[in-house]
Amino acid sequence: MRVLKSVTAGSLESSDVLVTITPVSEDHIEYDIESIVIKQYGKRIRQITEEMAESAGITGARIHVQDRGALECTLRARLETAIERSIVC
Amino acid sequence: MPRVEGYRTGRLENIIGKHMSELNFGLEERILNSKDELAQREALLTSRGLMVPEGEELVLGLFVGEQLVATGALVRNVLQGIAVDIDYEGEGISAAIVSSLIRRAVDRGITQVFLYTISEDISRFESLGFRKVAAVPRGAALLEWGTAGIESYLASIRALAKDKPDHAGAVVINCNPFTLGHRYLIEYASSHVPWLYVLVVEEDRSLFPFKVRYKLVQEGVADLRNVTVMKGGPYIISSATFPTYFIRPDVNKASWKAVRMHASLDVSIFRTHIAPALKVTDRFVGTEPYCPTTSIYNDIMKIILQAKETEAFGLDAKTPPVALHEIPRFELWGTPVSASKVRDMIREGNLSEVQKFVPGTTWDWLKSEEAAPVIERIRQSDSRH
Repeated sequence: MRVLKSVTAGSLESSDVLVTITPVSEDHIEYDIESIVIKQYGKRIRQITEEMAESAGITGARIHVQDRGALECTLRARLETAIERSIVC
Repeated sequence: MPRVEGYRTGRLENIIGKHMSELNFGLEERILNSKDELAQREALLTSRGLMVPEGEELVLGLFVGEQLVATGALVRNVLQGIAVDIDYEGEGISAAIVSSLIRRAVDRGITQVFLYTISEDISRFESLGFRKVAAVPRGAALLEWGTAGIESYLASIRALAKDKPDHAGAVVINCNPFTLGHRYLIEYASSHVPWLYVLVVEEDRSLFPFKVRYKLVQEGVADLRNVTVMKGGPYIISSATFPTYFIRPDVNKASWKAVRMHASLDVSIFRTHIAPALKVTDRFVGTEPYCPTTSIYNDIMKIILQAKETEAFGLDAKTPPVALHEIPRFELWGTPVSASKVRDMIREGNLSEVQKFVPGTTWDWLKSEEAAPVIERIRQSDSRH
């Protein structure tokens, strides 16, 4: 399922995460992960992001995650919302 | 709604702790339209020492009850006029307004967002994931947000310059449209440097569309062997680096202050980033007889490009100066040849006169079918560009 439009979910407020998905012309998914706790949780954030993108089956996207110390459930909720928005016309 | 008293510095969490109900029920986001709201917002900007941005498309406000506590605006791809009431200051509120502006920008398909602030506040926005592009000490700073930043742009122009000689020259032009004056400047410059880059302003806000301007430059200098014509990109005279270039400034002083500020940032980006990436040591420019904005830009180039005292301009001490060559405008029959003169002639329907001021390549295009809608637009417009 190709990503159709640029979308965001979440915010840059403390304890939240801003997920931005943009369409790209290639078929793959590019990940760009930023976090204020990148050393402790960077790997886990990337893993969750990749997992959710893959299980949703999206392609042709750049996923930009800017974490401001969100809980895992928050990250999952933001990713789910962003992915859902990006494939709806 | 009572004000949060006694709160000066600290984090939003502190306010929420003490005044949870007030903020949770009170913080309301609104698009500002009414005269009254915009007046409140101007007062807020002024109280924080900021100017009201020009050409803005969307102005947001956060309210506690009827009191405006934070504001920010979207001007194309640039966030401007961001201010938080001093009593409510804390990164929580600016993060809320910035997030909301980013969301609205992305909804409009804008994925690279710029932001103007004062140098003292750079770190506050860096903590929100913005990166610094340029800053003037104790003055303005330009930051950017998004995945493709200035680094990826510089990598692409570095690749372009890889097999080209050192000590190259550069010309930055809009060419709206390409005239004999531009041709003269480029020819002169190319004969004084081993290689010349002609950067054509990419922002599509001129009467001649970028595609046409670019094509006419390429055709107009095709015979010069040591010239590369390239897109100006998002960091040269763009709506991000120089938003006031594209609007007609008010006669009031504040507008000119903004023009000077944007020009300074634009020129320092050229000196610190673009010139080293292209191995450029000389920039060429025509003297400006008509347009006050361009004339200010030229003056600022003279100072910042050539300055040996790098610190005062917030430049990296390692960035070498770029020599500025101001070449007198090419004249025909005592008239400086400029694109704005040519547009005036088109506006007055004086096409046969135009032929004397533009090269054959531009003239051929002006006679083509493709040109008809552009000529029509010029006739009906009084735009500076």
